Amino acid sequence: MNNTTKNKKTISLSSRLQRVILGIVLIVTISFLIAVYIITEKERRDYAVRESESVLRTLSNNVITDIDNYKELSRLIMTESRLVSFLRADMNEVDISMINDARYGIMDILNVTEGIDTVIVMREDLTMFGTNRFTYTYDSDIIRKTAWRQDIYNKNGAAIVSLNTNGIAKKTGDKPLVTIGRAIYDINSQKRLGIMLMNIKAGNFDKMLFDLRSNDICIIGEDGSYLAGNKDYAQYFDENFLSKEIVHQPKVIGGKMALISGCQVADTPIVLLKVSNVGNEGIPFRVIFVLLLLLAVLVSLAFYTGIFIRKNITDPVFMLSSAMEKNRSSGELNKIDVDVSSSELMLLESDYNNMIDHVNELIGRLMENEKTLQKAEMRVLQEQIKPHFLYNSIETIGFLALDAGADNVHEALETMGSFYRNFLSKGGRVIPLSTEVKIVKDYLALQKLRYGDIIDDEYDIEPFTENAIVPKLTLQPLVENSIYHGIRLKGEKGLISIKSFKEDDGLHIIVRDTGVGMTDEQIAKILSFEKKDRPAEADESFGLWGTIERIRIYTGNKDAVKIRSEVGEFTEIEIIIP
Amino acid sequence: MNRPFRVMIIDDEESARKLMRAAIKWDELGMEVVGEAASGVEAINIIDDLKPDIAFVDISMPFMDGIEFTEIATGRYPNLIIIIMTAHDKFEYARKCVSMPVFDYMLKPMVREEITKVLERVVVKLKAAPDYWEELETKAMVGGDPSDNSSDQIKKYLDENFTDSKLNLAFVAQEFGFSPSYLSRKFKQDTGIKFVEYLNDLRMKQAQKLAQKGTKMYCTASEVGIPDPNYFSRCFKKYAGMSYSDYMAENSKG
Repeated sequence: MNNTTKNKKTISLSSRLQRVILGIVLIVTISFLIAVYIITEKERRDYAVRESESVLRTLSNNVITDIDNYKELSRLIMTESRLVSFLRADMNEVDISMINDARYGIMDILNVTEGIDTVIVMREDLTMFGTNRFTYTYDSDIIRKTAWRQDIYNKNGAAIVSLNTNGIAKKTGDKPLVTIGRAIYDINSQKRLGIMLMNIKAGNFDKMLFDLRSNDICIIGEDGSYLAGNKDYAQYFDENFLSKEIVHQPKVIGGKMALISGCQVADTPIVLLKVSNVGNEGIPFRVIFVLLLLLAVLVSLAFYTGIFIRKNITDPVFMLSSAMEKNRSSGELNKIDVDVSSSELMLLESDYNNMIDHVNELIGRLMENEKTLQKAEMRVLQEQIKPHFLYNSIETIGFLALDAGADNVHEALETMGSFYRNFLSKGGRVIPLSTEVKIVKDYLALQKLRYGDIIDDEYDIEPFTENAIVPKLTLQPLVENSIYHGIRLKGEKGLISIKSFKEDDGLHIIVRDTGVGMTDEQIAKILSFEKKDRPAEADESFGLWGTIERIRIYTGNKDAVKIRSEVGEFTEIEIIIP
Repeated sequence: MNRPFRVMIIDDEESARKLMRAAIKWDELGMEVVGEAASGVEAINIIDDLKPDIAFVDISMPFMDGIEFTEIATGRYPNLIIIIMTAHDKFEYARKCVSMPVFDYMLKPMVREEITKVLERVVVKLKAAPDYWEELETKAMVGGDPSDNSSDQIKKYLDENFTDSKLNLAFVAQEFGFSPSYLSRKFKQDTGIKFVEYLNDLRMKQAQKLAQKGTKMYCTASEVGIPDPNYFSRCFKKYAGMSYSDYMAENSKG
């Protein structure tokens, strides 16, 4: 960018503007991305949470319903007559057939259901039996203690859910079981007769999960033991999930964001764990789309502002500046005309133009003053010369000479009068060539009087060049130069020839002398445009230099004067006036 | 025209007049210098006597400068060839002021060659034209009624107007509708005195009166219609036989 101030510390308005706008765009974009990220994450998580809660609630309800069904079943079994007989019988009345009766009674009821692994009934005297006689091993030491059944007693006949037969027996293969336990009371005497434990296969839950089409759920006991579902997820269990409310824990599984949700099924030791991958389902595309739209609007607004400012402020400023610069480098102080749209810049332009006007006016006034001064000085000079007095004196002396018979004196005075008449003539700076030639002739006539016969002169003036207009005193100084720096130095008779003719490029005037000539260095120096080559006013070459300079200025052509010379032979100065 | 052409030189510089008289070969040009005047005033007073064909007039002269004189002369002598002499510093001024038909302008100091060239052209022009003065003379011989009393009227007019410095024969003739020669002749016939002498008498008598009163010469000169005191002085000396100051000393009543 063309920074006219050339100051590297100064940043142009335009680039500053660019930076600001890019900054705004950057900040807006970053904020947008952060906002989108936050919203997306929250929405995805919320989606997963909602999803998990819904599944877990359903599952929890299903489990409760299932358990309730088994509880109901256990109540039915409790009233089975053969079992009641077994329980009511005295200790000594109990025999194997009575036990079998009770067993069959239970099994009759169990036949219509599925999922029950065994029902174990124990009298108060610890006489017991199970419907599944072969896959359980009982631990009689634990059975004798009361700790395992205290919870059941505390319920006073209501069912309680526990795990794995309350630890009194082991199922072959350590298959997990859910146990519903209850104390059995005599209907009439309300006397506790014994305890029933109903073991439900945890495999039942698998069926339930299958119905829900969920393979991301794991069912665990409150002690952390695996019951059903996806066994891999059992490891994520901890005590936080022992809560009736659904608990959510975010976790990274296999490099992916996941949400572990879990809860304890009410009144049971069963904990449900669901692991859901936080996927793209929850992304609020509509919100993001609106945000994107907003971002686009903001960014384009920012760019528009930039373009607007550039078009209306910086570009016109550059245009103004370059117009001013052009004006300055052109050397002429003209008014500028730049089409700027804003009124403030137009104000600047008109202020500049006013200033130009003012400057021009000042320059004009200065030049006027200078001219006046010059004129005044000229007048003083001319007053000092007093031509009238000079002329009258010349005539008076001329008469005296004539009267005394000195005709040559009169002649000389006449020539002098003629010379000064033309030489001092006021008026225009230009005169006809014929007058200039007359000046030279008179001048040479007078010089001949001084130096005798060392000068010859000849003229070859083409007749139609006589009226050509030339700057006054162009030839005389050249002739003077020829005498003093040419012929006189040679010490022998010299010839000054003046020739004029017309060519296509203008009037040519040649002054030639047969003097000592000039060296090429002298010629180059006198024709040089360099200020350092300019002779001092006291220099003898100043007169010639000044004449050349005057002719150049008059013609406006730097090549208007040519000098040819041969040392010891001649010097020829040619002037071309268009 | 076969007679030599008559040249009058009007210049306040005596040396300039003398130089011109001496430097130019008049006879070669078929000319003679018949008179000089040092001012326009003097020229007006003697021009009727000199009857010049050519007048060299210097622009800068006291009392009545070349321009004023030229204005008067071109009106009264339409055939007079006037050549203006001027220095460069008055040249443009002269050109502006003199819008009258003058023959040429010449620069001072004079250069014989230039003057000769101009005069050669004058000769050509004059030779082609009839003799103006001769013509006037001839006309004067023929016309006029000798019995009228115009001379008395002219005398009266002069008595009343002699203090006008521009007054001369040609002017009065124009006023009364005569040719100057006729007027001159008739005036002489009727009064026995020349017109110029009568006018001069009037002025000199008045001057003598003023001199007796002790009036300074230049004031008197101006009052009697000869505002050039040099010329007045000569006129007075000629008339009274002594200089104005001597006359004043002898006749002063104070």
